[in-house]
Order: sequence, then C-alpha cells, then structure tokens
Amino acid sequence: MQKILSAKNLQYTYESGKSRTEALKGVDLSVEDGEIFGFIGPNGAGKTTAIKLLLGILTPEKGELTLFGQSPREPKTRQKVGYMPEIANYYKYLTPVELLKIYGNIFGINKDLLRERVGKLLELVGLENEANRLMRTFSKGMMQKVSFAQALINDPDLLILDEPMGGLDPFSRMKMREVIQDLKLKGKTIFFSSHELSEVELVSDRIGILCKGHLLATGTVNDLLGDKKAGQSLENYFLNIIGEKI
Amino acid sequence: MRAIWAIAGGMIKELIRKKDFYVLLIFMLVILGVLSAQTFFQIEGISRYVRDFGYSMVMLFSFIISITFAAKQIPVEIESRTIYPLLAKPLSRYKIILGKFCGSMAVSVVSFTVFYAIFISFYTAGGEIESLSLLGQGFIFGILFLCMTSAFAIFLSVFMTMAANVTLSFLFYMIIGGFSSSIKEIIFSSKGVVSVLYGILYYLLPHFEFFDLRVRITHAWDPLPAWVVVSVSVYTFVYCFMLLSAADRIFRRKKF
Repeated sequence: MQKILSAKNLQYTYESGKSRTEALKGVDLSVEDGEIFGFIGPNGAGKTTAIKLLLGILTPEKGELTLFGQSPREPKTRQKVGYMPEIANYYKYLTPVELLKIYGNIFGINKDLLRERVGKLLELVGLENEANRLMRTFSKGMMQKVSFAQALINDPDLLILDEPMGGLDPFSRMKMREVIQDLKLKGKTIFFSSHELSEVELVSDRIGILCKGHLLATGTVNDLLGDKKAGQSLENYFLNIIGEKI
Repeated sequence: MRAIWAIAGGMIKELIRKKDFYVLLIFMLVILGVLSAQTFFQIEGISRYVRDFGYSMVMLFSFIISITFAAKQIPVEIESRTIYPLLAKPLSRYKIILGKFCGSMAVSVVSFTVFYAIFISFYTAGGEIESLSLLGQGFIFGILFLCMTSAFAIFLSVFMTMAANVTLSFLFYMIIGGFSSSIKEIIFSSKGVVSVLYGILYYLLPHFEFFDLRVRITHAWDPLPAWVVVSVSVYTFVYCFMLLSAADRIFRRKKF
C-alpha cells in the first residue's frame, strides 16, 4: 500500500521567552492509503501540534514530514486534504451555505459542482433545513456538523479530524461513524485524534498512542491488546501504557 | 485570484450584516439633514459648513469602517480560531493577507461610495455645483486614502491586538493628519545626522494628509493638477505594496 503520510523523527518545541516546551520528541509515523488511523493521547500529549505540522500550519524543527510525498507547507499538497479542527468556530455572520461556498472557492471548485456538493454535504450532516440560517444561532453540535461538512468540501483524499465527536449527541456520533466508514469504503484515508477511546476502537484500523511528545505504540487494536493478557480493554491498555510514561 | 476574492467576499457579507455601517449612515443622514435645513432657512454661509462638515464626516466614517474592519481581521481570526481551517486550505499566506486587504478595501470602498453619494446629494441639493472634476478628485483621493488605511491596519494586525491597532491608527490619523506641517517644520529645522534621521522617519510614516481635499472642496477651489493626482496615486501604491509585503513576511513567520 502507498504511504499517504510519513513522518520521521518529527520534533517540535514551543518557545515563549526563556521557557521551552518540547511538544514532539522524535515521532515516527506512517499512515497508508485507505486506512483509518486513530491518534490518541492525554491532554498535552502533542496531538494538536502533530496535526498542525501535518497541515503545514507549523514547520517541524527537525525531522521529515510528507503528505502524498510532498511537503505539507506547499499549498498544493493541501489541495487533497480536508481538516476538521478541534474547536468548531466559524464566521457567525455567515450561513453554512456561504461558508462552504467560500471554502469551495478557495479550493477552486467549479461553480455548478460546488452548488451541488454544498447541498449534498449539508444533507449528509443533517443541516439541510438550516442551510440559510446565520451560524450565530447555532448550537455547539450544529457547529461541529458544519465543521465536518467544510472538511469534506474538496472531496479530500486525506481527512484529518481533530476530536470530531466532541459536542455531538449519540445519534449524530453514530451518523458520523457511518460517514467515516463510508469514506473509507470510497478509498479515503482518515487520520483522527480523540480522547474517546471507545470511538477510536470502533472505527480505527490502526491506532497510535502519543504521550508527552513520544509515540508509545502503534498498531491495530488486536496487535496492541494481543501483547497483554486476554480480555483487556483498550482503555486499560491505554491507562497502563500512559501510566508507565507518566 | 478566486481564493482572494472568496476571502474578501466574506468580509462584505460581514459589513452588510453588522450594524456598524448602518449606525454611521443614519448618523450622517441626520447631521447633514439638520445642517441642510439651515440652508433652507437661508442662513448665510451655511452651505460652506455643510461641505466642510459633510466631507470631514465622509472621510472620518469611512476611516472608522476601514480601520475597524482591517484591524480585526487577523487578531479575531486567531482568537476565535477560525484561522486554522483557513491555514489548512491550499492558500499561501500572502494570499490570506491579500484577501484580507482586498476585503477591507471592498468594505471601505462600498461604505465610502454610499457616504460620498449622500454628501454629493446634499452638496448639490441647493443647485451649487462649482466643480464636478474636484468632486471626482475627492472620490479618487478618498479611495486612495482608504487603500492606505486598510494596508496600514492590515500590516499592524499581523502583530498587534485589534484595540492597539485601532488606537495607533487613530493617533496617526489625528497627529499626522492634523499637525503634518508643524511636524515637518520641526524635523527640517533640526540639523546634521538628526535631521537626516528625522527626514527618513518623516517619509516612512504614512501621510494621510496627502488625501485631504477638505479645504479645497469647502471653498470650491480649482481642481488639483493631474501630476499631483498621479504622484499621490503612485505614492499610495508603493506605500501599500511595502506595507503588505512587510505584513506577509511577518505573517509567514508567525507560529499558530
């Protein structure tokens, strides 16, 4: 299988005055075409920093990072990437249709195709009846749905989701899981970070556990739990491995 | 280009949907209406005040719209985290800066055109049209002025908070606009190295006063010669290019 994402010895340090915080301390990671990769770790593990590096928002201090064999700092690399941020906050004076059209135009999507895609995406996330309502009246869950829709506007080959289930009700979570599985069937690659281990376990082909800037383990759920005694849950495994590090 | 206009288009929607513009518009209509009513009662010389006050209001209100829109673009995007989905799109950072500038310009030009049209309609209501070409120059200079103020505020917005940016822009507008000739006198009365340094500083600062045709319009003087219009236009484009290039360099290095 082709590697969509490849990171070798990825390092990043935040500097503020004299203080230095090493967010990533030599992370090696690869994600293959068509897989769902779950990225888990406690707060402050470096997940969001890793995602910012993947999106070219930050530049790695050391190490190599490629998406589709190219640097994510190159705008054209991001043409095939969709991103849903952890905090879904968008321009409140716009409607979801207007927001999606702005983003679609940034991707250079043809006008007719864009109109069609905007309608389909809003239907997919269940916002077709709120399509022309200003987003300042939206709940957190509705904003999360808009966020998911905008991540799909360019029909991305790689979808990066940062805590996608936060703020969603159980029905919407189930719906999102189904959409993620459908995207996988269409050959899309999905990289998502989450605190919710049960969600990660349900949808991921492979998992990576990050703690204090170190990637502690990667593999399928069966691979990871197979090393341990039978009947262990991902949560127990996660707590053990994180506990050893902390 | 499409990506730049997509960013700018969102800002025009913001102008239409927020109250700022309408408040200033109503305020202007009321004041010019009251002043023009005095003309109706044949108070001597009042039409000059209408022109003076009306033109000043057009420039000030357009400046307020321009600065407040441009100043908040980057800081508010960062604070509300809307910058992240934008940075994740296939956009170079200079396109984001250019999109924000074009958006601020579009918002300012729309506001200015509406304000100026109202001013002209009050100006010409009494049948006094001394010089259409002077009013045309007033329009061109207004657009150039807003080009400068938008670029100036966008430049400051890449490293300043909105409040600091607006305050500093107002200070420049008031001090340089109001005391330009005095500042020039002080600078050029100094000698030696200090004079050179002051001179460099003087030419580096934005000269908003270049665009002020208030006195000329109030007293219905002759229009400016073409070379002045061309020189001021060139000055504006060069200055804006420098400001936006500097903004791009800072924005490119910014860590989010």
